[in-house]
Amino acid sequence: MSQRASSSTDPRFAPLPPLLTLEAVGKTFGSHVVLDGIDLRLAPGEVVAIIGPSGSGKSTLLRCINQLEPPTSGRVTLGGTVIEAGHTPGRRELMNLRRAVGMVFQSFNLFPHLTVLRNVSIAQERVMKRSRAEADKISMQLLARVGLADKAQQYPSRCSGGQQQRIAIARALALEPQIMLFDEPTSALDPELGLEVLAVMRELAENGMTMIVVTHEMHFAEEVSDRVIIMADGKIVEQGVSRDVMRNPQTERARRFLHAVKDR
Amino acid sequence: MTADMFWTLASGVPWTIGLTAVSLLIGVLLGIPLCALRMSRILALNLAAQAVILTLRAIPPIVWLFFIFFGLGSSVIELSPFQAGAVGLGLITAANMAEIYRGAMTAIHPGQWEAAHALGFTTWHRFADVIAPQLFRVALPTAAGYAIGLLKDTAIASTIGVAEVAFQASHVSQRSFRGLDVYAFAGLLYILLSLPIAWAARWADLHLRARVAR
Amino acid sequence: MTDLLDFWIEHLPSLLDGLWVSLAVTGASLAFGIPLGLVLALAVQGKSKILRSLAITVVEVGRGAPALILLQFVYFGLPNAGLALDSFPSAVIALAWCTGAYTSEIIRAGLEAVPHGQREAATAIGLTGLDALRFVVLPQALRVSVPALLGFAILMLQASSLCFAIALPELVSQAYLIGSTTFRYMAILVLAGLLYAAICIPATIAVAALERRLGKHA
Repeated sequence: MSQRASSSTDPRFAPLPPLLTLEAVGKTFGSHVVLDGIDLRLAPGEVVAIIGPSGSGKSTLLRCINQLEPPTSGRVTLGGTVIEAGHTPGRRELMNLRRAVGMVFQSFNLFPHLTVLRNVSIAQERVMKRSRAEADKISMQLLARVGLADKAQQYPSRCSGGQQQRIAIARALALEPQIMLFDEPTSALDPELGLEVLAVMRELAENGMTMIVVTHEMHFAEEVSDRVIIMADGKIVEQGVSRDVMRNPQTERARRFLHAVKDR
Repeated sequence: MTADMFWTLASGVPWTIGLTAVSLLIGVLLGIPLCALRMSRILALNLAAQAVILTLRAIPPIVWLFFIFFGLGSSVIELSPFQAGAVGLGLITAANMAEIYRGAMTAIHPGQWEAAHALGFTTWHRFADVIAPQLFRVALPTAAGYAIGLLKDTAIASTIGVAEVAFQASHVSQRSFRGLDVYAFAGLLYILLSLPIAWAARWADLHLRARVAR
Repeated sequence: MTDLLDFWIEHLPSLLDGLWVSLAVTGASLAFGIPLGLVLALAVQGKSKILRSLAITVVEVGRGAPALILLQFVYFGLPNAGLALDSFPSAVIALAWCTGAYTSEIIRAGLEAVPHGQREAATAIGLTGLDALRFVVLPQALRVSVPALLGFAILMLQASSLCFAIALPELVSQAYLIGSTTFRYMAILVLAGLLYAAICIPATIAVAALERRLGKHA
């Protein structure tokens, strides 16, 4: 490991008490190790990009944070909620965690049988117990924020991929999460449509949202995120200030990956 | 349940199997020309076949069996209960098999027809060597499912007096006033009888899949 | 020919009475059977081992035994266990059992057709398992199942003819009764067949059209 790989102890990267802490988080499927002892601290407002070859465990790491995939070892702490692997978390803890974490998927996963507006408002009604009218009002504001207020009464299938992903972002924001997870949000999109999604994400980042973004967009990783993490084979092989890591990686594995990506 | 009751019920098994087999044979064979007509480019033939298939499938089997046994039997041609049952269930099976064949035909990739064309096969060879084996393979699981349904439908022939399992069950139940265990056992018998069909179909499916895939 | 028409006109009212009973027993069986099918589909996929084996048994017997045997079991068999029911409730119990068994497979296929990402997204936005099922998974699963369920409903109307065997005065029983008193089996059975065909043929064509339309949009 390089000098920079242990930089989570560097005060520069944790100026405030961390919002999210992962301690030795691991995930195995049978004998297959997908995540191997991941340590990660995220300060409020920090934007972290995770890059790395496919199969390196990036998506699984995101899913371990909100317990879509329960980790097989380690501990996840978010705000006041602590979830230890091995102890089945209580309903209330899981609900608190999922309310605090917004997630955006590669394939959008909008609900096709609900209007755009219902997609955004349903969790407010069912989870936050807002009235229908209030939920719809807030949903309209969120849709306006991602530039899609005019699509409110449409069904998702009538929207382009880029629009669907922006709606998915609005849906995740509806729960007023403390942190947003993005799982390759532009991978399923044409480059042009990806740009409109990246613009929304940039706006979120500039307004202080704490974000973890698994991405193949090297430009986004370098320009928008504060910190870049490179993963390979279920481990963090390098992390640090975005520009440094992207331009001057210290480890051989990171160099090889960045080289391969830039050649493409 | 007494041994006597058991053996009476069991005596219906050959009739159930026989009626299923004969009806299935009639349906499998008669379904071929019916399917050919249904896919004919001559509109009149096509529509006639459609009408026949729809009618056979739209009217409940019990009505067909009554029609053949009591209706035709009283005025046109007298048939034994077994003959009437086999004709009625056989015709219904033919309509269903025609639809199963047609479904299988559409499931075969159009490229297969084109390839057979391009290789200069005659129409018959095209069908016999290229299409038929695939057709059989695709249709088999559905046809086996239908055969199990047919086995259960033969119970309906008890209403016109074929001495099969359901007939024996109602006979024994009326004599002994022990409907509960008699009908439970009869139901079990049908389930047991359908198992070999399911196994045979699965075996044939695996066997054929290996051969056709090669 | 006029003789036949006179005969038909004379007996049509009693056949229509019978048809009404057929439709009523079919409707009631579906009304109880389809919710049962939903419960069975969920139980078969559920976590509880006891519930799962129970559901599988109910489904396998309901699909494996002929509907006629189920009807006779309920009508002639259950009295041995102290439960003597009229022919109508007996018919509804037996046919609802049959409906539940078959529709559970239809609905299970519908549930499996809902992409995994839908459940993931529902979980990620904090919906409870029950809410995810109710608002996200079931509406989509049932929509996929509609053509198959309608097709099954047509089969159920035909299966209601088996209630002849338990003395329910439905269409076939009425026709048989008229046949046995007038000895004009052929004429009355043709009319009964026409009544079934008048419902089932248009319904079959409509379901096929619906299936094609949904298929195109999927």
